[in-house]
Amino acid sequence: MAEMWISMGPQHPMTHGLWTLKVKVDGETVVDTEPDLGYIHRGVEKICEARDFTQITTYCDRLCYASANTWSHSYIYAVEDLLEVEVPERAEYIRLIAVELQRIASHLMWLGAYGPDIGNLSVMVWCLREREMMMDLLQELGGSRMHYNFPRVGGVKRDLPHGFAQRARAKVSLFLDRIQEYEALFDESTIFLIRTQGVGYSKAEEMVNHGVSGPNLRAGGVNYDVRTAHPYSVYSELDWEPPVERPSIKGADCYDRYRIRVEEMRVSALMVLEALDKIPRGADTYHEPGDPAILAKAPSRAPEGTSGAHHFEDSRGESMFYLAGGGEGRGKMPYRASIRSPMFITIPYASKCMIGYKVADIPAIMGSFDPCIGETDR
Amino acid sequence: MGKVVSASNQKSAAESMASALSSMEGVDAEVSERKSGTSPRNIVSVDCSSENWRILAECMRVEHDVDYCSMITGIHWPEGSPDKNWEVIYHFMRMGVTDPPVIDGMVQPIIKDPTTLEGKEVPLEIEVRIAIPETRDPKVASVQDIWVGADWNEKETWDLVGIDFEGHVGMRRVLQPHETPVGFHPLQKQHKLRYHDFEEMYDDAQGFLRKPSDAGKIK
Amino acid sequence: MMATGDWLDLRGWVEGLVGWSMDNVHDALPSKDLDLTVTISPPKGIWPEDILLGREVNLQDGFADMQPALEGLFSATMICTVVFTTMMLTMLPIPYIERKFIGRLMDRLGATTTLRSLWIGESGVTAGEWWNQLPFGMGAPIGWLNKTLNSIWGNDHELEAVSRVNNRGYHGYWFLLPGFFQAFADFTKFAGKEHIVPKDADRPVYEVAPVIIISTTVLVFAFVPFGPHFYVSSPELSVVFMMAIFGVAPLGVFFAGWSSNNKYTLIGGMRSAAQLTAYEIPLLITVLGVCVISGSFNVIEIVDFQAEESNVWNLFMLPLGAALFLITMIAEVERIPFDMPEAEAELVEGWWTEYGGMRWGLMFAAEYQRCYAACLLFALFFLGGWEAPFQGTMESLPLVGGGLEFLLALIPGIVWVLIKAWALFAVFVWIRASLHRVRTDQILEFGWQWLLPLSIVNLAIAMFLRVWVWDGSWGIVAPVVMILTGVLGLVILVVDEDKEALESMRRPYSTYAVTKAYPGRHPDTKLEDLQRQYKSYSAVKAASSVSLSDTEAGT
Repeated sequence: MAEMWISMGPQHPMTHGLWTLKVKVDGETVVDTEPDLGYIHRGVEKICEARDFTQITTYCDRLCYASANTWSHSYIYAVEDLLEVEVPERAEYIRLIAVELQRIASHLMWLGAYGPDIGNLSVMVWCLREREMMMDLLQELGGSRMHYNFPRVGGVKRDLPHGFAQRARAKVSLFLDRIQEYEALFDESTIFLIRTQGVGYSKAEEMVNHGVSGPNLRAGGVNYDVRTAHPYSVYSELDWEPPVERPSIKGADCYDRYRIRVEEMRVSALMVLEALDKIPRGADTYHEPGDPAILAKAPSRAPEGTSGAHHFEDSRGESMFYLAGGGEGRGKMPYRASIRSPMFITIPYASKCMIGYKVADIPAIMGSFDPCIGETDR
Repeated sequence: MGKVVSASNQKSAAESMASALSSMEGVDAEVSERKSGTSPRNIVSVDCSSENWRILAECMRVEHDVDYCSMITGIHWPEGSPDKNWEVIYHFMRMGVTDPPVIDGMVQPIIKDPTTLEGKEVPLEIEVRIAIPETRDPKVASVQDIWVGADWNEKETWDLVGIDFEGHVGMRRVLQPHETPVGFHPLQKQHKLRYHDFEEMYDDAQGFLRKPSDAGKIK
Repeated sequence: MMATGDWLDLRGWVEGLVGWSMDNVHDALPSKDLDLTVTISPPKGIWPEDILLGREVNLQDGFADMQPALEGLFSATMICTVVFTTMMLTMLPIPYIERKFIGRLMDRLGATTTLRSLWIGESGVTAGEWWNQLPFGMGAPIGWLNKTLNSIWGNDHELEAVSRVNNRGYHGYWFLLPGFFQAFADFTKFAGKEHIVPKDADRPVYEVAPVIIISTTVLVFAFVPFGPHFYVSSPELSVVFMMAIFGVAPLGVFFAGWSSNNKYTLIGGMRSAAQLTAYEIPLLITVLGVCVISGSFNVIEIVDFQAEESNVWNLFMLPLGAALFLITMIAEVERIPFDMPEAEAELVEGWWTEYGGMRWGLMFAAEYQRCYAACLLFALFFLGGWEAPFQGTMESLPLVGGGLEFLLALIPGIVWVLIKAWALFAVFVWIRASLHRVRTDQILEFGWQWLLPLSIVNLAIAMFLRVWVWDGSWGIVAPVVMILTGVLGLVILVVDEDKEALESMRRPYSTYAVTKAYPGRHPDTKLEDLQRQYKSYSAVKAASSVSLSDTEAGT
């Protein structure tokens, strides 16, 4: 059969979002790929030039809808860099809890979508069920299930609600047990192993040169994590380490990328439990919204010539905001807001990873990199 | 406690890199301290001219092990000073990542203790700012062959802002549709953010169905 | 031909009914000759003789000549209709089982709650106490049972988090089987949809493909006996014919995939054709093994062999064959783990992407019909067909044997066949819910490299058993030896004795898994244990040269 270009997408049940992957196949083997993004380009960067700093937080949640908290916090740290705001420690702990809970929820969504990619339909329901528990917790914190608009410039919107610590501990401990069920379903299944091992090799140095970071990079055998390398927030005060995966000789395959995320879920869960113990003034004290313990006074204008940038460890890699001060409203709005999306850079790399494998490996490889098109297209 | 890179090591590494870079022609590097929650970060902040950019990029890659291109931002300053009408800001990171070695047929993951890193191994953030004077077609040398991560970043910058990258292979629209008119780069400041006209709210582009009292209204 | 029989003698009744009615018609017809002759006397100048037109007719004799053919036609029509209707009606539980069982597996409810959830909702959502509506207080024991089960194995978790997501809203009819009419609703929906043909599709082939698939699938049921007297036709080579028609469907699949003018369907059709062809051969050889051991190519005789002559189900004599039949049939009906041709992960729906409306509905039904046929064939070939479990043993018990024999004779054979087929379909569903999809080239590799040699081994075993061991009966030793061999094989394959060696064999590069999971290990993990393990994990990592045994020692 001659070589032909197949277009997977934009309407396709399993591309994890709205984009097109044009694949050139020779029989069943992939010879070339070409990703085509931009279907949900909403112009967030342009919109941000006409919004207050507080208003932009709402947009940032919607960048990657599966992992909303990590994006709004990524933005907030950049704003605090721009405005030079000192954040109270309790607020940092609350932010850490929110971010790590969101990371668990994001990885659960990934796992729930990755199972059906490989063919296992049950695990989608199982993972979404655990995700419900996390979303309940995040709803208590932020007010809604998906787009919380949680951080504020200088702190957080509100404190941990009454009884949150007890419920969070119960749910996270239950979740830690349930992870073992997922592992049983995947690791003990020969079919899963033959589908994901030896498929989609990626080496660490190549990944770094291509701009891939986060769990995809740590699956390659290096323990680089933005939270430890360019420290921010209170990660230095918790006892944790980023999980690292031992890849195969030819590089990290899909199995490694799957395993690293399962380990990351564990690490995040343990971090949440520890943060609840170590939070200053205790997890059961409640401060009213606007209390200086959780929200510091912040200037609302950034003079021209200033800029703020922050690298942040998002669920999918290293995300970054760059804000140039001095925009409209005499500095109340950023002159330019620039967003770095890890998936925007990883998807072309993942498309290159697919070359040489079979068409049936495409969902396995693409799914293992955890694409989220919301942040890709902004 | 969780192990993170020590701030003093990072600061001294940043200072050594800044002084090394400043010795190059057309390059002015300094260490700037940023806030991030509880700990300060020291980043290397470089101002470079667009002619020297390529040499600086190669030097960073080869001598200073800057291996990761994070983001490329293009900014249009129509009311800025005449030699800063356009600005390209690169963000790089030095990660210090190498392929893990293979010992006895098994890969040994590289687990570095961040507290012990110093000198060239310390992860660093680098911000390079290039100012372009007033011109109708701003361009900067492309670094696509040095860091592949810059590839799609440059495409996006050209697509949205209009800054061209010389030597870039395969420049195309990435976020906007392929058929976007030539020369349309939305993040330039002459394109104002548009709110929907009242007419468009009626799902009626020519306005045949709108109420007379709503004529001419903007949201 | 039929040694076992039961009272549900469909063929006998239909033939009797038709014969009786034909005889009555015969008798009602006049038995005298009718003179239907006409004599025309043309004028002598034109034609010399009289012309005789018409002839004498005896209606009764004429009818008697036609009667056998008529009887055959009517009885065949009636039997076909009844069997087809039975097949369709008994197929309705199949999508029901699929939906409900997969739903419970996905909800991880556990056995008791699962069973109860068929008629009772959870987390406070119920259908109400419907048993109290039954007359004469007949429902009181049901209510008692419900309350007892609820108090012992209640379905409310102490964590409200878990109860909250356990919530399965109950919507259905108050009696017995909620969700049962979903299948009808589905088909009504399919029937109402438009038939769209892609613009550049090859129209004749596009239209013919579903016809091939559906008709061959339905035709298989002509030879499947639901009971000893409940079948449409039973020629001597019925197994051969059934397998032949079963194997025509790949042709229809390939037509469908190619003619839709769609690259996805083309790939799907090719994959499907390759997969189905690859698994036809082990299937046929396995079935050949069954026929060899039973001594006949006729399905009814195979069941009779198990019921009457050998007194052992073929499952126990040929465990390898049963396993092979199961696996190859799952591949033939394209279910997970072998559903790559229609995998929605890459190919949306595979070879049937472009079909809509009733064509898709019927092909969807044909997929379940093939599944049902596979389950029925397994029940007939390996599970003794319409014989109750331990029927022979029960009937030969000293005191109660007679009574049991009477009770068992009350139940028609079709009930046993259906129970076995549905139970086997539940196994299919269980496999579907738990396993992943195998990639096409791995499927083909598995089929050609493993199943084909194993099926030949199975055939050799079957030949050996029949020629050297069969002596009018099996003797007590033979089934025991076969079962033990099968169990031993299963144990060797499934149980990992040396977990670590197996780990390193199958993955020379292992992971830093903190706690290695195996089924049954949860749910007592305590947080302190996990944190302690994590601390040791950090210590282990700091040494930076970890081998497998060190990781395992830390857990």
